[in-house]
Amino acid sequence: MTRATSFATRRGRAAAALRLLGGALRNRRRDVVALAVWSLVQAIPAFLSGRLIELAVDRGFLQHQLLVGFGWLALLAASFVAGGIAAGRVFRSLGNVIEPMRDQLARVVVEGSIRRSARLGLPVDRAGVARLTEQVEIAREAGASVLQVTQGFIVATIGAVIGLLSLIPAALVLVVPPVVVGLAVFAAALPRMADRQLESILADERAAEGTAAVAAGLRDVVAAGAEDRATSLVERHIDAQAVATRQLARLTAVRTLAVAAGGLLPVILILLFGSWLRSYGATTGAILGALTYVLQGVEPALERLVRNLGSGGVWLVSALARVLEASAESELDSAEGTPERPVDLDAGGKRRAGSGRVRVRRRGSALAIHNLTFAYSATAAPVIHGLELTVDRGDHLAIVGPSGAGKSTLAGLIAGLLHPQAGSVQIGGVDAMAARHHGSVLRALIPQEAYVFPGTVLENVTYLDAGAPRAAVDHAIAVIGAAPLVERLGGCDAMIDPAALSAGERQLITLVRAYVSKAQLVILDEATCHLDPDAEARAELAFSHRSGAVIVIAHRISSALRARRVLLLDGGAAWAGTHDELLQASPLYRDLVGHWSGGAKTPRGRATPAALRRALSMLGL
Amino acid sequence: MIAAGFTVVVLAVLDTALPAVLGRAVDSIFGNAPAAWVFAAAGMVAGLAAMDAADDLAVGFATARSTAWLRRELLRHFVRLGVSAPERYPPGDLASRMVGNATQAGRAAVDIVRAVANLLPALGAIVALGLIDPWLCLVVGAGMPLLVVLLRAFVRDASGLAARYLEVQGAIAARLAGAIAGARTIAASGTIHRETDRVLAELPQLHHEGLGLWRAQARIMTQQGLLVPLLEVAVLALAGVELARGHITPGALLAAAQYAILATSLTSVLPSLTRLVRARAGAARAWEVMREPTVAHGAGAAPRGDGRIEFRGVTVRAGDRALLDHVDLVIPGGALTAIVGRSGSGKSVLTGLAGRLADPDEGQVLLDGTALRELGHDTLRELIGYAFERPALFGDTIGDAIAFGVSTPSPGAVAQAARRADADGFVERLPQGCANPLAATPLSGGEAQRLGLARAFAHPARVLILDDVAASLDTVTDFRITSVLTTALAGRTRIVVAHRVSTASRADMVVWLHEGRVRAVAPHPELWRDAGYRAIFEPARLAPHPNGHRRGARTAA
Repeated sequence: MTRATSFATRRGRAAAALRLLGGALRNRRRDVVALAVWSLVQAIPAFLSGRLIELAVDRGFLQHQLLVGFGWLALLAASFVAGGIAAGRVFRSLGNVIEPMRDQLARVVVEGSIRRSARLGLPVDRAGVARLTEQVEIAREAGASVLQVTQGFIVATIGAVIGLLSLIPAALVLVVPPVVVGLAVFAAALPRMADRQLESILADERAAEGTAAVAAGLRDVVAAGAEDRATSLVERHIDAQAVATRQLARLTAVRTLAVAAGGLLPVILILLFGSWLRSYGATTGAILGALTYVLQGVEPALERLVRNLGSGGVWLVSALARVLEASAESELDSAEGTPERPVDLDAGGKRRAGSGRVRVRRRGSALAIHNLTFAYSATAAPVIHGLELTVDRGDHLAIVGPSGAGKSTLAGLIAGLLHPQAGSVQIGGVDAMAARHHGSVLRALIPQEAYVFPGTVLENVTYLDAGAPRAAVDHAIAVIGAAPLVERLGGCDAMIDPAALSAGERQLITLVRAYVSKAQLVILDEATCHLDPDAEARAELAFSHRSGAVIVIAHRISSALRARRVLLLDGGAAWAGTHDELLQASPLYRDLVGHWSGGAKTPRGRATPAALRRALSMLGL
Repeated sequence: MIAAGFTVVVLAVLDTALPAVLGRAVDSIFGNAPAAWVFAAAGMVAGLAAMDAADDLAVGFATARSTAWLRRELLRHFVRLGVSAPERYPPGDLASRMVGNATQAGRAAVDIVRAVANLLPALGAIVALGLIDPWLCLVVGAGMPLLVVLLRAFVRDASGLAARYLEVQGAIAARLAGAIAGARTIAASGTIHRETDRVLAELPQLHHEGLGLWRAQARIMTQQGLLVPLLEVAVLALAGVELARGHITPGALLAAAQYAILATSLTSVLPSLTRLVRARAGAARAWEVMREPTVAHGAGAAPRGDGRIEFRGVTVRAGDRALLDHVDLVIPGGALTAIVGRSGSGKSVLTGLAGRLADPDEGQVLLDGTALRELGHDTLRELIGYAFERPALFGDTIGDAIAFGVSTPSPGAVAQAARRADADGFVERLPQGCANPLAATPLSGGEAQRLGLARAFAHPARVLILDDVAASLDTVTDFRITSVLTTALAGRTRIVVAHRVSTASRADMVVWLHEGRVRAVAPHPELWRDAGYRAIFEPARLAPHPNGHRRGARTAA
């Protein structure tokens, strides 16, 4: 990272973070005002203590007037009581400001993480959970401490300055300049400290990522005999972190000197110029009071401010920046508006004003793909290249091919989750990207990772159509073959604990969900991979008999045997046809199916699609 | 570390002495003490500042050094624990041990010194108060237990509240993790806002618990904010009486007020103790990894031979089950051998043993007559290479990822390996070609696999062990790579785990594994006559399999 970019990103991060903090403060005006008011009350001891000690000593104890001395001290005690109560109130107000900020951050993180995870071709955003439990918490704690010490410093300094003014105005000349110089030195060191602290945090994160990568790929490291090379890749970050820590220590030493200059130099100056102050009429008590203001007011407040802004402030900014970065990125992906809102559209996919029930007039095939081309980046070879495909209503298509051939990519394109570089995808005559905004009215995509959430069985299976009649739900559960599972769980109204279900059971639930939906096109993207072959066959045939079309991305080649048509993908190229046609035409298909004539004849007596269908009808499907 | 200890102790002494010296200096202004005290105080304050700065340096440097040392050792040790280590320490867990726990452990020594040193000024202050006036000591002494009781009540209160806060937070995090895993469903269903609300359903509860924590803190602030200053007022009142009687000077009164505050810092022992407890737990987690024994290698040099691998009475167990059961097998040198079998038949265990990614529980694996255990680490890895179906790639650039290994091949060799693995096409299309940063290059499964193959080809080994590469490659690429195996690499021992008929049919010899035993070793056409052999390659039928997919369904959860 060059100096220039680090400066720019630092400025950008700081600006964004401060905007967010500012927003949080503006939203809670009443609590911010309360915070300010109680802070002032909290400052009373800082303001009065020196003066009251002076009065107690000069008017009381030194004059042998014990009761007078006690009287002033009682006033001091009273001011401490007021200050103590105010300190408690300050914390409550602080909570009222900070907790809503945390709520807002949590919302940003949750939505951003889900959006980021939905991007195809990229790994899911596992860091989202860490952002929620770590970065948001860091921001919460650091935000509170920064607010607290900043207000504390302002209050203590103002209190002490007013107190000194009332005590020995001349002493201000000895106190204010060192404090200003100390703050200036600290302010000058702060940006560099912030940089080093960020470097240290980033180096830590890279070291953590590198370590996790070595652990995840240890088999490869050991097999290559490259243990030393692999560790050296991580050691760079470990060393960078150590360097940043050492540089930070140097800057911290500077900071400490700044605090000493600001907080302790006034003490020395007051002592050195004691006789000079006496010539201005300063009494014993006045000098004791002045020293009290500095030692108990200014110095601790300055030290807390410097320590907290130096570390807490940087943590706050970096944590907020991290949270904001992630959400900004994901907002770019979803600039399409709110997907849930039902919108009426005509066949061309144009939006029309209106609300309420969704009405879509469908025209043409269930799916029409024309000249579709897609690549994950400008330099990468296209995964899909000039694809033409039509799926009629009532059709049952299986997509097969080696892994990495673009099957899931095609599913994403059909579902409108990816923008094609060229060509068009139309679902019932509506553009796929527009169809996405109808939720699952036009199409439903069931991916391999079955998403079952903690809720009732009914809530889970009517996820795509909340108004589905109970009879339709029961029918779906029966035909998909989920009845024994639902019965075991305790019926449709029983709660599901997703962690207690096996992967196959979760898939059954999502299959029922797709069956219940209104979608005229259902895409099963390896959605049956954890089912056993019987259950898979049963589910696929149920969809085959459902009204509307089904596209099965095949995990096992047996899925192709059940389909009416098969689409074979292979490195950007594609062939469509019936099972028998592809057996004739494609050596790859023969290889995938296991028909191989290398040195032996094609084995006889295997199940043909027709034979399979007969067998299934005998099973009652 | 010694420097850090020194500065911490000197600081403690200076902190203790400062109020007394300041008091004397005040007295000297009014002629009650020699003027030299002012300069003594000034020098002491300057010394304190310098020592404080020196302490920052010493502690920072010591922490940086011990943390970095611990992290390096931990990592170097971990990579030598064997390929099964990530089962005990999954990636995230290891990263947290290395980054979080090692830092805590690295700071532990400094923390211990600090905790002890923090006691010194507090104890010193109580003694100093006693020296100024024994009654002062009594007043502070009476207040202290109350303060400790308050703090303990707070710690108990706050830890209960914090536990509830974390519990609610954990519930939200768990739902988020679920939603992240199901993000494709959510995106496809257009339910992101609904899901955000569902994940955050307990946010008001979190808000409530959070406010509770603030209230607890507010309470302790009020109580502590009352007790400590009131203790100071009591000390001042008593000191005032002594001042009036002429027993002490005004400077001593100032010193007494400062010491009263310093004495209450005794309570800072509580938080530093909790920090120490955490540091100990952190260190323990780091040492847990360090205590494990590493894989030992012999010192043997490469034996003469053409790459013949021999299994003698090899058994591998997982619990009660034998993954490989008394396998005796010879894989001929210089030939292309396919390993075939249903999933769970022991193919990957066998290939793992063939290159000593693991050791058998019984028996021996030999390369050209020498046991693999006896070979030196570098010799072993130079002799036997691997290419995996899902490779993990390491290095800064694509070129580094190919060159990654026990030795560093020349750029020419890297380019040739990329060509042979059919990776040159997409690498050349990258903006910086071979120098393109690995982290900034999105790779499909097939592209990553070709880079993994190139890595194996770039390190010419006597024995090359491959997963069925064809499984995720298109037919054209598959054909090109297979021809490299049968032409450019002809003469080396090539062991391929075959999933597809085409792969098995190209091999010189097929090893058919079934339930952890070698069922047959023969050329493919001979084995093809056996219906059981053909069934391995056949698609799943409607009749339930005896093993295979059903097993997958149960273990996948």
